[in-house]
Amino acid sequence: MSYPEKDSKIPFVDLRDGARGIMVWAPLDGDKISEAAFELIGEANRQKSKLDEDSQKIIAVLIGKEVDKHAQELIHYGADIVYVIEDDRLEEYLTLPFVTSLIDVINEAKPEIALFAASTLGRDLAPRIAAKMNCGLSADCTEFDIGYYANRKRNQRFKKAFKMIRPSFGESKLATIIGPFNYPQMATARPGVFRKLDKDSSRTGEVIKFQPKWQEGDFAVELIETVRSSDSLDLTKADIIVAGGFGLGKEGFDMLNELVAAIRANGQNVELGASRAAVDAGFVEYKHQIGQTGKTVRPAIYIAVAISGAVQHIAGMKESAKIIAINHDPSANIFLSSDFGIVNDYQEVLPELIKQVKAGYKFDLD
Amino acid sequence: MSENYPKLDLNIFVTIKQVPKAMKTGADGLMDRSGKSMMNPHCTHALEEALSLRDRVGGQITVVSMGPPNAQKSLNEALRKGADRAYLLSDRKLAGSDTWATAEALATLIKFILKENNETLDVLYGGLQTVDGDTAQVPAQIASRLKMSQVTYVESVKVLDDKHLEVRRIIEGGYQRLKVPYPTTLSVTETANVPRGPSLTASMSAVDKEVIIYNIDQIGLPEKYAGLAGSPTVVSRVKNVVIDRGPVQLFNEGDTAKLVSDMLTAVNTKEENN
Ligand SMILES: Cc1cc2nc3c(=O)[nH]c(=O)nc-3n(C[C@H](O)[C@H](O)[C@H](O)COP(=O)(O)OP(=O)(O)OC[C@H]3O[C@@H](n4cnc5c(N)ncnc54)[C@H](O)[C@@H]3O)c2cc1C
Repeated sequence: MSYPEKDSKIPFVDLRDGARGIMVWAPLDGDKISEAAFELIGEANRQKSKLDEDSQKIIAVLIGKEVDKHAQELIHYGADIVYVIEDDRLEEYLTLPFVTSLIDVINEAKPEIALFAASTLGRDLAPRIAAKMNCGLSADCTEFDIGYYANRKRNQRFKKAFKMIRPSFGESKLATIIGPFNYPQMATARPGVFRKLDKDSSRTGEVIKFQPKWQEGDFAVELIETVRSSDSLDLTKADIIVAGGFGLGKEGFDMLNELVAAIRANGQNVELGASRAAVDAGFVEYKHQIGQTGKTVRPAIYIAVAISGAVQHIAGMKESAKIIAINHDPSANIFLSSDFGIVNDYQEVLPELIKQVKAGYKFDLD
Repeated sequence: MSENYPKLDLNIFVTIKQVPKAMKTGADGLMDRSGKSMMNPHCTHALEEALSLRDRVGGQITVVSMGPPNAQKSLNEALRKGADRAYLLSDRKLAGSDTWATAEALATLIKFILKENNETLDVLYGGLQTVDGDTAQVPAQIASRLKMSQVTYVESVKVLDDKHLEVRRIIEGGYQRLKVPYPTTLSVTETANVPRGPSLTASMSAVDKEVIIYNIDQIGLPEKYAGLAGSPTVVSRVKNVVIDRGPVQLFNEGDTAKLVSDMLTAVNTKEENN
């Protein structure tokens, strides 16, 4: 391995103080392991060969009520060691006991890298751990690497620094964040970006039952209820999705449903989608929500009506083959992510669209 | 104040950041902060939650910020909307702060104000995230420093009784409702509320209020924890993102019937040279 000549006067340092391996928190989605956990374990496996040999191990952490049964599945997807923390009070995520659990596991297992899904849970949990452990944390990463890094100011060079790459400035730039000064080097990683490994049921690993030391006040915040949408609607199989936003109002959704019915009457496989704001306002049910905290869809045709195009919405539909936007605001972000657009009031456009679909117009799907 | 609510006289703090109106990077690859600035949109929602909580149960609102001297602009805006006190931590040595160092600085400022005035804190509000950083990490990191519970991604806050709030937070596929005792830190999403504008009475009383400005020495923040020196992460590289979707094709010629039919025809037209 050769390093840039211009850096040759900077001494190489290794500040890991015995930290080895990559840790991944494996959250649950209701009663199954979240896909994001498998994705991160997959990515950890792809990165680990760049680490020292004694650091090429993947440590998963599983926390919840009666979660032991999931440990083998984590191993089948690429974990080498699974720490299992079971407590009846932890059926659902609660910030402080999860913080205590992970800090205790980190102090025990001493990983050099710790990864968390950039979900509403991971982005709640990881910052608190980083603050308490005085570690750096990079948010919502979409790419990782491990390799050479020189820091002139600190007069330090690293052979195997963790490079955390994340979109910034409203997704227009990619910034590489580095922090090999304190360990573990921590990141949250965007769900749906990394690939999981193929499941290998013959893989074996170690399962360690672990008991954290609860701190005073860990259970002071009480969960009243967790509400998740029932998944009775499979939006992911629709060829066409007609999605409505907050700008529609309740009446607008009646019109949108009429469009859905008209497309369906032509024999096309279509479903109704919605933004979170429309769901929050009570115009439609949760099961229709598309985006970061709803469903991720990839239909042949996505029609966004009166949706502004917030990043959280775009995250769930940007891989649609063709995107059509209808919005009366020409500066709406949705137009930056669309192929076809009409800048006009939905009350003008929708009746006409319904009319033409009823007259026999069918969307080409290939 | 409605009689349905207990009179609690809460000590409420809100963290506020001033951000550039247009996101662009300078020649050095870092955020260009030379242009126009505004209160970070998420912070306006945090302030609104604070004002609405005070409307219900009474109390005092203190807004705190860290940034260059012109960040007073956003703090003054908060005073005109009804905040009672405003503090700015401003020091060149804070430049280059990552989220760890930002939280350290703001937590030190908050602790300093509480100590000076012999107060305790009941609720700290922050915006979910800032539009120029997008990390959503700082509120949780301040909460950790202040040894308080936290709820992030907050969509609504109800007063449950004289000791608890009921807080609704966003989760994947739905939401959670939590019973949260004081003191706590809440990070607020944009869907939580519609922020009010400046009020006449608040603006009038804001005239006599001044933003109090401190540097790091005054609040006892050691230099080694401030700014770049105190930050466990550094930005090593910034590159442009290539968007793979081509520009949008807009239809605006003719009447609605023509717009729609032109668009529908285009949607079904196979691209050539593909
Ligand atoms: C943690 C987190 C997770 C989130 N997850 C999701 C998610 O999964 N999915 C999601 O969608 N959002 C999500 N959000 C919310 C997201 O940030 C936006 O607030 C939301 O997407 C906005 O919805 P909207 O576009 O319908 O509403 P708005 O932003 O209010 O936009 C309404 C649009 O309608 C247009 N309009 C109004 N009237 C008309 C008219 N008469 N004719 C034509 N156009 C009109 C307006 O120009 C505007 O562009 C999340 C937010 C957070 C913080």
